[in-house]
Amino acid sequence: MQQLTNILKEIRPEFDFSSSSDFISDGMLDSFDITMLVAAIDKNYGISIDGVEIVPENFRNFETIQNLLRKHGVNT
Amino acid sequence: MQPVSDISEVYEAIQRAKIHATAFQTNLFPMQGKLRSWISHGELFCEVHDGWALFFRKDRDFFHLYFCAANENTLRASLQGCLRSQRFSVDIVGTEAAVGSIVSVFKSVGFRPYARLRRMVLLVEDGSKKLNALANGIGFACLSDCDALGDLLSRSFDRLAEQLPTDYELTAAVEAQQILVFKREETVGGLLFFETQGLTSTIRYWLISEGFRNQGLGAKLMRAFLSTHPSARRFVLWVIDDNTDAIDKYQHYGFASDGLIDQVLLN
Repeated sequence: MQQLTNILKEIRPEFDFSSSSDFISDGMLDSFDITMLVAAIDKNYGISIDGVEIVPENFRNFETIQNLLRKHGVNT
Repeated sequence: MQPVSDISEVYEAIQRAKIHATAFQTNLFPMQGKLRSWISHGELFCEVHDGWALFFRKDRDFFHLYFCAANENTLRASLQGCLRSQRFSVDIVGTEAAVGSIVSVFKSVGFRPYARLRRMVLLVEDGSKKLNALANGIGFACLSDCDALGDLLSRSFDRLAEQLPTDYELTAAVEAQQILVFKREETVGGLLFFETQGLTSTIRYWLISEGFRNQGLGAKLMRAFLSTHPSARRFVLWVIDDNTDAIDKYQHYGFASDGLIDQVLLN
């Protein structure tokens, strides 16, 4: 969780992600940020998120991102 | 080049490019709403192989080019075969350090740098602004303004570099109250076109028509825009890198470059 928080903070340091349940609707992450987030997650966790998974639904909040990580065998 | 008829084709194509990726490269940042709109308007085409996918979005007399490639070599190979007969514009977005090698790939297959934009950002503290009434002459555009808005935009901005809205996007933006205008005797003298998502608002275009300049109207529009967004924390815009007049104006309002650039290349 802390690692994920750090990744998000690196991408958008001005926002407090813990206060949001929908990073997209709240304007904290845009499409470019999501692509950077995918690259950062791939690198930091040593996984490869599939193209079909790069949809906003998977990056809406901590819970959806953690679900995605678990799907790739990351113990969150 | 095949037309894309469903959004799932886009995701499958990305997957085919990514499956063999050693250093995945892309300039496609798909938000579902935009993709669906392009597909439903018949604007999106693709060419897909194992290791790479190219997408082409029709815009007026040219195509925007988007790529997904397993690495720079597959990107180069994908570009060599299919870019002879049409005019393409491609945006490479990233930090200065990150875009260099991709730009080199495009140059090696005949693209040339055309324009460069920089992203500027204004961060504001929560609750630092109050919602104010709009100044005289300023209001949201209405549907009868669409022709004038389209004309102003196409005369003032570069269609190849600045992602001008289509007629349907303009109509939708007016209906969604995303365009503030200054009008005098029913003539549109200036506009500020924005898109807001939660805490972030993006200024897409801000302009004052000739004949209306040097009267403080641009400042009025900007103040009106900021005052209609009391809860926004982050304001974003892209500006042509050598447009020093515009950059000076944005800096006056507190915008600063955040290090992201958009290198536009044409074939």
